[in-house]
Amino acid sequence: MKQPTPYDVIVVGSGAGGGMSAYVLAKRGLKVLMLEAGRDYKPEEETPMFNTNAEAPLRGVSTPDKPFGYYDATVDGGWTVPGEPYTTAPGDREFMWWRPRMLGGRTNHWGRISLRFGPYDFKPYSRDGLGVDWPISYDELAPWYDKTEKIVGITGAGQLGLENTPDSPPGILHDTPTPRLHEIMMTRAFEAMGIPVAPMRAAVIQKPMDGRSACFYATSCGRGCSIKAMFQTTTVLIPPALATGNLDIITDAMVYTVDMGKDGRAKGVTYIDRVSGEHKSVTAKAVVLAASAAETARILLNSKDGRNPDGVANSSGTAGKYLMDTVGTDSGGHIPMLEGMPSRNDDGMSGAHIYVPWWGYQQQARKELPFPRGYHIEVGGGQRMPGMGIGDLADYSDVPFGAGLRKQMRHYYGSDIGFAGRGEMIPNDDCYAEIDPDIKDRFGIPVLRFHWKWSEHEIGQAAHMRKTFHEIIDRLGGKVTYGFETDGEKAIAAGGEIIHEVGCARMGDNPKTSVVNKWGQAWDVKNLFITDGAVLPSNPDKNPTLTILSLAMRNANYLADEAAKGNL
Amino acid sequence: MSPYVSKIDRRTALKWLSAAAVTLAVAPTMARAATYVKTPKGYGTDPDMLNPTSPWDRIMTDRQLQLTAVLTDIILPAEGEHPAPSAIGVPDFVNEWVSSPYEQTKSDQKVILEGLDWIDAEAKGRGAKGFVEADSGVQMAIVTAIAKPDASAAHAFFKRFRHLTLGGYYSTPEGFADIGYIGNVPMESYPGPDATMKAMLEERMKAIGI
Repeated sequence: MKQPTPYDVIVVGSGAGGGMSAYVLAKRGLKVLMLEAGRDYKPEEETPMFNTNAEAPLRGVSTPDKPFGYYDATVDGGWTVPGEPYTTAPGDREFMWWRPRMLGGRTNHWGRISLRFGPYDFKPYSRDGLGVDWPISYDELAPWYDKTEKIVGITGAGQLGLENTPDSPPGILHDTPTPRLHEIMMTRAFEAMGIPVAPMRAAVIQKPMDGRSACFYATSCGRGCSIKAMFQTTTVLIPPALATGNLDIITDAMVYTVDMGKDGRAKGVTYIDRVSGEHKSVTAKAVVLAASAAETARILLNSKDGRNPDGVANSSGTAGKYLMDTVGTDSGGHIPMLEGMPSRNDDGMSGAHIYVPWWGYQQQARKELPFPRGYHIEVGGGQRMPGMGIGDLADYSDVPFGAGLRKQMRHYYGSDIGFAGRGEMIPNDDCYAEIDPDIKDRFGIPVLRFHWKWSEHEIGQAAHMRKTFHEIIDRLGGKVTYGFETDGEKAIAAGGEIIHEVGCARMGDNPKTSVVNKWGQAWDVKNLFITDGAVLPSNPDKNPTLTILSLAMRNANYLADEAAKGNL
Repeated sequence: MSPYVSKIDRRTALKWLSAAAVTLAVAPTMARAATYVKTPKGYGTDPDMLNPTSPWDRIMTDRQLQLTAVLTDIILPAEGEHPAPSAIGVPDFVNEWVSSPYEQTKSDQKVILEGLDWIDAEAKGRGAKGFVEADSGVQMAIVTAIAKPDASAAHAFFKRFRHLTLGGYYSTPEGFADIGYIGNVPMESYPGPDATMKAMLEERMKAIGI
């Protein structure tokens, strides 16, 4: 059957990369078809904003059905997706793969931390001989960061001038809300250690814009945001793209192959309708993959035909290779200084109002640290909406039960804090995804098999994170409550657990060692583009979403330019 | 104390029933991959966020529920305007928790239900008809004994039961009012801590030399 609409571009995925690509292309006047594996999702109608934990099953705690808690804005997703398994190669460390099945993908429940990569981050190999340089520099991406930040709406205004931690041009970023009590205290302790603290850069708007309300400092962003203060593609990018009349969206469309024409160009894609089970093919003049780093690689590797025995866009053999996550570990502390402080509203903009950018560049330049790359620190604490964790406060109490326990609970409420380190992983040959030779998902599509191994660089960094957290807790006169282990091997989170998996179809200058060029365009297939985290050649400590959005904006514009010139 | 009357109304019970029926009606018939383990009778991976339900059967006997009500109120007695746990449905929550089909509540199910039966037997051993009927002296003596930290199963039961009581209580609006949680209200701007509080913190930071 011939499709009714001739499309210019098919975009696979609706998260950061897919949402931004569709937004740019539709605004540029191209006819776009977006395919999303999950269901349609409307934050304005579905977000549980003011609901208390008492209204949720099991007071909202994590379960296998909802790994981040009942109210978390994840649909049919998590570390496992019903009927869609993945495997880890025998003998390797476990890799955990987070996937949602919803329009907007992970932008509905992401952490919102939006940090620019710095000049060093684009040329890491030139600096220390590890990993690989990007085919672009910070200066080439900077204007796109500016444009992206303006649309997304991000806090963190101010000029700090910190090394490899670029400030945005004045006027772009919104003011970060004032620090909470525990954040004022933490700032003092970090500064006593000679470590500068910065206002958080979070994708939560502080003034109304584009029909979105400003943050009203209540309700957890992880539930999504019906007032659109928090950036989700479902509220910020997809509606204006639809308003152009140039975008069609098909949900429940599980794409599994890129279909190739005899001329070596991509014809379109084939997907399975998750509801009916039917296989359907659609065609377009160009294809954009943004299904998430590993899923994009899976599509490439499953697109085998006579001409492409190893999959599409894989003449280099690097599709699926150089998979990276973020190095992560955390510790918590109990701080007597915070006991018995008066009640205060610590909700703020849900996430932290401060963060600690990597401070050790100079030490590393002097070879004083046993690991080559940096990490930033994220913080938590305060008098937050009580859930099941509140019962732990009784452990501090000298009244185990009965009269007097209430007073003790009030006394200890808000006196626990937490730290999380988020560090750069260097790509290595032992971390990659391939097609499992035996296992298929419920649709009959071969699944991914992950290989994972941390190197000494990451292990050393995780150990340093823990020691730093212990020192800061000690300086605050507190006691460590979790995250004691300082052996990096044991302290480090599993691969994928931080949910920053990138790589698998990296960009580069050399078609023999990369999948796409600096425009996200496949070396082997000129009308096939990749605009998700798969293209990242390195994974700096700065959370990847802002960079994925900025690259997608830049590269979708390039695609539109090339299409206009008739070059695709 | 008069017997505990469950706070679950007929409407809620009907909601559970209909939610369970829907779950069954849309259960996929496709063969599942071996690596995916579904939690039967859970609320599923796409529950209705605005109308939450916990669609599983409650397994406590009435005796266990009555005992739970007495014990939650011993752990956190009413005080001034702050109601007792049994007055705001916390025993129903404990029942919901131990009845849950999820893996992580399975160990609590065993610890709590066995602990409740044990504490009842313990009261009988001290000459009462049971824990619920025992006079408050006997009740307090038993709870005081099991609250002492040691490696016994009875203390493990106390710790878990207290954890569920406190979590169940303080996650309610009544619990917020007691502990001092004043968030979850929309604001034009975020004030942060006031000057008095900052000065207090400053004093405390000075005291430890930061």
